[in-house]
Amino acid sequence: MDVEQARQDLCRRTLSDIQRPLDRLIYLASMRDYNTGVYHHDGLASRFTEEVACEALADCHREAFRELVICPLQELVSQLDAYRSSTHTSPREFLTAWGRLEPYRVAVPVQADPLSAEFLFSNFKIALAVLASQLDSRPAGLAA
Amino acid sequence: MIQLLFFVLIGVALLASLLLIGRRGSVRAEGDSGALLEARRALDSLQGGLLPEELVQRIFARDDLDYLSSSAAPKAVRDLFVSERKRVALSWISQVRCQISSLKRFHVGAARSYARLGMRTELKLACHFAALLVACRALRLAVYVGGPYAAPRMVGATAAAAASICTISEQSLAFLNPVQLKPFASNSLPS
Repeated sequence: MDVEQARQDLCRRTLSDIQRPLDRLIYLASMRDYNTGVYHHDGLASRFTEEVACEALADCHREAFRELVICPLQELVSQLDAYRSSTHTSPREFLTAWGRLEPYRVAVPVQADPLSAEFLFSNFKIALAVLASQLDSRPAGLAA
Repeated sequence: MIQLLFFVLIGVALLASLLLIGRRGSVRAEGDSGALLEARRALDSLQGGLLPEELVQRIFARDDLDYLSSSAAPKAVRDLFVSERKRVALSWISQVRCQISSLKRFHVGAARSYARLGMRTELKLACHFAALLVACRALRLAVYVGGPYAAPRMVGATAAAAASICTISEQSLAFLNPVQLKPFASNSLPS
């Protein structure tokens, strides 16, 4: 029950401002300690407990992952482009970094089903190729 | 000398068969908790990861290819898409097959010790397993040769058959689910 309350609190106060599942996935992955896999959120932990906050964050992370796995390619391309715009990075630089580093691989929940994760990675790869092709087809001045 | 060699060979062959039988016996012993856990994991993987309808539909959805065609994506991008989808589709088929084989091993080796399925249900299950494993092979061949959209009906039928096997297997493994215990009544405690 506490976890559900914490989840609702997190959705109301924080995640309601993050509309796109991709942004939510990246935000929630950033709340996780890469060494322990434990999620931290000071505000939520102070209202509930560390354990409950961790479980609520993990729940929301899994939810964002599920939403992203089943979203059509067209939507993923548009979410990725919108995310790129929000980072104020140049499209070329963003696409090169994401193509090489594949940061989406560390953004999935620990307990994600391997096939779903594989499918999402594959979709990211295609979405990046689509954005790169769109960039190539733009006039030189706009592409920068 | 030849006779001696012949008997030695027979001896070695008998020893090897004995070892093989002994090894199989120890792995598939009735009451083996490993078999139970393996079956539970296979069932969870199928129901939670591989068979949800929305995921299967997404993997084999044609609308993503239609989007690429309508947005005039270059041929290289469309080729990348088809090869990636084919890879994921083949991976899905092989994982479904692997988990179904795992459930089959459980039913053949251990289910009798834990579950009381009727003769009719067991026969039905055996037919389902055989048909599904053949269907997986056929689907794999179809996708390998014709790409991810080669056999949409076969995909639906395979997913439905696998889901049906999961439902029956669930009965065999139901005793592993946590039991909802009633709280102790105060007067039930020994005085």
